[in-house]
Amino acid sequence: MIRFENVTKVYEQNARPALDSVSLEINRGEFTFLVGASGSGKSTFLRLILKEDKASAGSVYVAGQNVANISSWRVPKLRRGIGVVFQDFRLLPQKNVFANVAFAMQVIGKSRSIIRETVPEVLKTVGLEGKERRMPHELSGGEQQRVAIARAVVNRPGILLADEPTGNLDPITSMGIMGVLDKINQNGTTVVMATHDDDIVNEMRRRVVELKNGKVIRDEAKALYTSMIPVVGESRRLRDASGEELNRAQGAQL
Amino acid sequence: MRLLFILGEIGGGLRRNLSMVISVVLVTFVSLTFVGAAGMLQMQINQMKGYWYDKVQVAVFLCNDGSTAVGCASGSATKEQQDNLQAMLESPAIKPYINDFQFESQAEAYTHFKEQFSNSPIVDSVSEDQLPASFRINMKNPEKYEIISETFSSQPGVETVSDQRQVLERIFSWMNGASVAAIGVAAVMIFCAVLLITTTIRLSAFSRRRETGIMRLVGASKTVIQLPFILEGVIAAVVGALLASVTLWLMAHFWLNGDLSKQFLNTPFISSTQVLVIAPVLIALGAGLAGISSLLTLRRYLKV
Ligand SMILES: Nc1ncnc2c1ncn2[C@@H]1O[C@H](COP(=O)(O)OP(=O)(O)OP(=O)(O)O)[C@@H](O)[C@H]1O
Ligand SMILES: [Mg+2]
Repeated sequence: MIRFENVTKVYEQNARPALDSVSLEINRGEFTFLVGASGSGKSTFLRLILKEDKASAGSVYVAGQNVANISSWRVPKLRRGIGVVFQDFRLLPQKNVFANVAFAMQVIGKSRSIIRETVPEVLKTVGLEGKERRMPHELSGGEQQRVAIARAVVNRPGILLADEPTGNLDPITSMGIMGVLDKINQNGTTVVMATHDDDIVNEMRRRVVELKNGKVIRDEAKALYTSMIPVVGESRRLRDASGEELNRAQGAQL
Repeated sequence: MRLLFILGEIGGGLRRNLSMVISVVLVTFVSLTFVGAAGMLQMQINQMKGYWYDKVQVAVFLCNDGSTAVGCASGSATKEQQDNLQAMLESPAIKPYINDFQFESQAEAYTHFKEQFSNSPIVDSVSEDQLPASFRINMKNPEKYEIISETFSSQPGVETVSDQRQVLERIFSWMNGASVAAIGVAAVMIFCAVLLITTTIRLSAFSRRRETGIMRLVGASKTVIQLPFILEGVIAAVVGALLASVTLWLMAHFWLNGDLSKQFLNTPFISSTQVLVIAPVLIALGAGLAGISSLLTLRRYLKV
């Protein structure tokens, strides 16, 4: 579903790359956590999938298509196949819950009757039945994030990207949100979630991709937030990466 | 659905930026009024040229009692002098240059004068013998005025030879100057309008960056995202253009064809219907300017 081939992203010429020759494949229907310290390149990874930014080198494939080959007027079509959720919800404060979710359908030209039919269904999926008429400021953070998730999936995208969706929420509310994301994943949507939340990652036991300074240093199935055995990983790339680290450490000593 | 959505967005945008939108309307209104006024002046010049050019004549004015010119030392022109001039006009030296000529007596001159200034008090202060008699000459080629002027100016009994065409040319060049000035003012105002539209669109894009950000993420097309902004500018400019058109029409209707045409009976003024030809030009100009400047602004300030 998503494939990175030696993707490097350099924002500023002299700075270290935000992503450094990342190769990775995420299959259809998978649930993947993207972990790593601040600045390790998680958000950059997600932005490249959306074609919000252009890779400096390498190729990004989404649903089998190299995003570099998607012309600018067809980028909206790419994005219709991808839902996005952020830490700060990004709801429209002057629209109620229903209108916020409906907005995502209106702007791509869905008919009123389809909107009236679909929005309540999706709100039910995220557990917001009966709160259609509430304004965002009348909702808790967890509920606001549910609205944002509803908006992200209302057009039935094949991929859902979540950038620290629980970053502003307490642990219990966060687990609620994870339940929603899990449900969406169960329905066949590929989910990629960048997070700092170790409890959640440990609880869910899904694939974990760890980034450090723009490089993938761990890629484990059914994994924990921090690797139990740091050096012996599943992929060769991991050994390569840590080997490089070792060399660099030695170089520094000499 | 999408159309309704875009219309709703435009309505919201116009309401949110009302004061800016009003200023865009006013500035385009003023600038396009000047553009239109320049256009009207040109139309007026053409109209007058068409009307006058085959009517303009070279007039050879004869001396009357009050004349002070050198050739008039002997007082009012005599019948002999008049016959002599007529013979000269019919002579082979002059005849090839003219189509025809008429003699306008002092009585006729007075009648014409009364017609021309019928509602002006000046009529009462002028008497018949104050007005000169004249030969009215229709030239084959009006440019050859010099020939008549040289031949007749020094003849006894001739006060002066005047080329009406020159008088007209002076009026036209004055009108041309006025229309150039109007274009100059219009250019400055249009520049202001473009800057103002640019700023308005920028503010509008900024105040709606949340919406547009979400639209982008859920895959709204470039058109759906940008069109409300562009139309916002275009609508404001078109309203300005309409106001300008109405103003020009009112000017033509009540001023040119009202007061002015009563004062200058013989002047052919452009009709208010003719002014309506200018309206579509102004609307297209306003819409085009607004459209282009909003599009360029959005390219810089609204990521799609
Ligand atoms: N638009 C940008 N311009 C320049 N540098 C950027 C830009 N966006 C990100 N970076 C840099 O790229 C690197 C990776 O940033 P990124 O946002 O992907 O990290 P992250 O893993 O999402 O961090 P966090 O966990 O804090 O969200 C950082 O060093 C950051 O400074
Ligand atoms: Mg980030």
